[in-house]
Amino acid sequence: MNNRPMQALRRVAGIVPLPGRVPLALRSLTADRARLLRSVSGIAFAVLLMLFQFGAQKAFIDSSLEVVRALDADLVLMNPQKNRFGTKAPFPREQLVQAAAVDGVQSAHPLYAEWSRSMWKNPDTGLWFKVQVLAFDPDKPVLRIPEVEAARHALRTPDTVLVDSRGRRFLGFPGAGGGSELSLRRVRVIGTFPLGPDFLIDGTVIMSDRTFLNTFLPSGGVTAAGSRPSKVEFGLIKLAADADLETVRARLRAALPNTVNILTKGELEAIEQAYQSRMAPVGPVFNIGVVIGFLVGMLIAYQILYADLSDQLGQYATLKAMGYSNGFLVRTVVEQSLAYGVVGYVPAWILANALFWVVAWVTLLPLGISLHLTLLTLALTLLMCGVSGLIAVRRILRTDPAEVF
Amino acid sequence: MKLLIAWRLTMHDRVRSLMVIVGIFIATLLMFLQLGFYAAVPKASTLIFEDMPFDIMLTSPAYVYQGSPHALPRHRLTQAAAHPEVVETAPLYIGTAQWLSPESGLMRGATILGIALDRPAFRHPGILAGLPELAKADTILVDTETRAMYGPQTAGRLIELADRQVMLGGTYALGTGFVGLAVAVVSDINFHRILPARPLHSINMGLVRVAPEGDVRAVAEHLRALLPADTRVFTRKEFFAHEQARWTRATSAGLIFGFGAAVAMLVGVVITYQMLATQITRDLPRFATLKAIGYGDGALVSMVVGVSLLMAAIAYPLAAGASFFVYDGVRAVTRLPVEMTMERLALVFTAVTGMAAGSALLATRRLLQADPADNF
Repeated sequence: MNNRPMQALRRVAGIVPLPGRVPLALRSLTADRARLLRSVSGIAFAVLLMLFQFGAQKAFIDSSLEVVRALDADLVLMNPQKNRFGTKAPFPREQLVQAAAVDGVQSAHPLYAEWSRSMWKNPDTGLWFKVQVLAFDPDKPVLRIPEVEAARHALRTPDTVLVDSRGRRFLGFPGAGGGSELSLRRVRVIGTFPLGPDFLIDGTVIMSDRTFLNTFLPSGGVTAAGSRPSKVEFGLIKLAADADLETVRARLRAALPNTVNILTKGELEAIEQAYQSRMAPVGPVFNIGVVIGFLVGMLIAYQILYADLSDQLGQYATLKAMGYSNGFLVRTVVEQSLAYGVVGYVPAWILANALFWVVAWVTLLPLGISLHLTLLTLALTLLMCGVSGLIAVRRILRTDPAEVF
Repeated sequence: MKLLIAWRLTMHDRVRSLMVIVGIFIATLLMFLQLGFYAAVPKASTLIFEDMPFDIMLTSPAYVYQGSPHALPRHRLTQAAAHPEVVETAPLYIGTAQWLSPESGLMRGATILGIALDRPAFRHPGILAGLPELAKADTILVDTETRAMYGPQTAGRLIELADRQVMLGGTYALGTGFVGLAVAVVSDINFHRILPARPLHSINMGLVRVAPEGDVRAVAEHLRALLPADTRVFTRKEFFAHEQARWTRATSAGLIFGFGAAVAMLVGVVITYQMLATQITRDLPRFATLKAIGYGDGALVSMVVGVSLLMAAIAYPLAAGASFFVYDGVRAVTRLPVEMTMERLALVFTAVTGMAAGSALLATRRLLQADPADNF
């Protein structure tokens, strides 16, 4: 207890108190180094648990939103039967042509997609895997992915594809120059783009509408230049520079039959998010994980603060006997609790970043701690520590100083 | 005597001791829950195969998992049936079709499992009881875990599957796992009616049952030699290992829940240490007193370990018991097969008691160095 570093720390704490106040919270925090270390590490691991659960849930949702976010559109047309991005429900291409003619619409580009019949053959092992295939007219860009944008003109060559450089490794996606088979059709890889898998899709292949038609539609495998699939999966609308979104949406609504939905990108993201967190088999598990992470963190923090305060009961009783008010004691305890929260949060945050870096590398999922997640978890940490302190302080308030000694 | 002292120490400040026990309880429950999630992933993937009667499974060589099973010729089953030790074979057809609920106009994907009625690939009692219904044209059985958005599961309800009107003949409760949000069982003939592009001679999986006295591995070896390269032969054990390896090591869900379980174990162990170390440190003056009145180091160590193990021993059975209820709740919400196993009970027990003894031994180092006079 009476070693040099501790004395030094106390002296420093004593040198820079707030005007007219002894830094009591800090002093009771640092009074026992071993205990401080144990308590802080306990809280830090509780915070780590919370960070991991929040981060995993966010990665789960984000991974499925990456492709939606990459769509280059102000409004998206799609079949109302679609309850998520990755389910087949196309609508007639004529309706997209009608939409293009609406006043205020600068362009209406088609996006074709296939999720169930699209089988990719791993060129190394010969095994077949389902992949997501996206296709578009190389003259009508639809994806805001720089690598796709750079390579789109080259996709005009029949049977050329771009593959996801972050696709799952068992797919065996080769780099540019490689080749394999997609749904029994020979394809040549001319480039890659980084998209990444989600919980249902292992990897993505991008091609031209004409290659798409040849691969998936019964056309005998060969089509004349200029022929297009008759149905599209998504219609991507861009507005003229001066057009108002809601006005154009109303015009589109009037021009199109109600067999097509007109959504903003935000609404499409919301649909995807609702599907993933409520309908997908693993969605509710992540929601439970987040609740558990917070509850366990809260209980652990409370347990630790309660134990520490109980140990310091004598000191607090002394203060009380000296005539300090209950308000002062509450303030000190809450300050001490919040200090625990902050001191515990920092190592937990660093540890979680390191952990996510490893997990992201292994799982290829968009794991990371955003500013939003940092602020949210820090606020929850302070909340749980503050509340725990308030509950624990009741024991001190109940104490009769005479009984403690 | 030592145990009695340990007990007295535990009971001395009951509120504090209770808090420690609650802390260990929570940490233990957390481990159970996250390990349960992790184990549910491969379990969900093999759910429909678990009570299928097979010793050997024939699949396409390209078989990866049931979501994309590929086809093999039905004739391979006939060839397998010719082996003297094979007593029964059964085909399984797996397909997907759009399910249209006429009431709401909602159209969603559903998974259809086709079976031969004279040798069903399932021995689930609900499916066997429904076989007479399945014999009718365009009639299906629906898994009760099919999500609510697919509409009511009342027998006699008419829906459309792949633009063909079919009738719900009844339900069975096997579980949908990762097969899909809606799963229906149909006869092979109806499978072909609903999905005309899927001929009956092309099956997705071939179940082979070997006589009880037969040698499964020898039969499997024989079939591997006999059947051409269009068929892959798994023994039951190999098949489950293949499915589970894929789901736990190659998919997002398995990987992320694996890390979730690892983090929970780490946090659980650290929290347990924190709780017990704090408690033991707090009791140091008492141990010092015992040391001062002449107790030996060995006695002190066993007392400290005794206190730790006592608390763990109270918290662990409570947490194990509570996790059965929590698993029930999670099963109801997520519809994933979260279930307790003996292995998990043993694993968590080892982690908790190991950590209890470990934290006690760590804390006693300080105790043994302590000069009783310093502690007052």
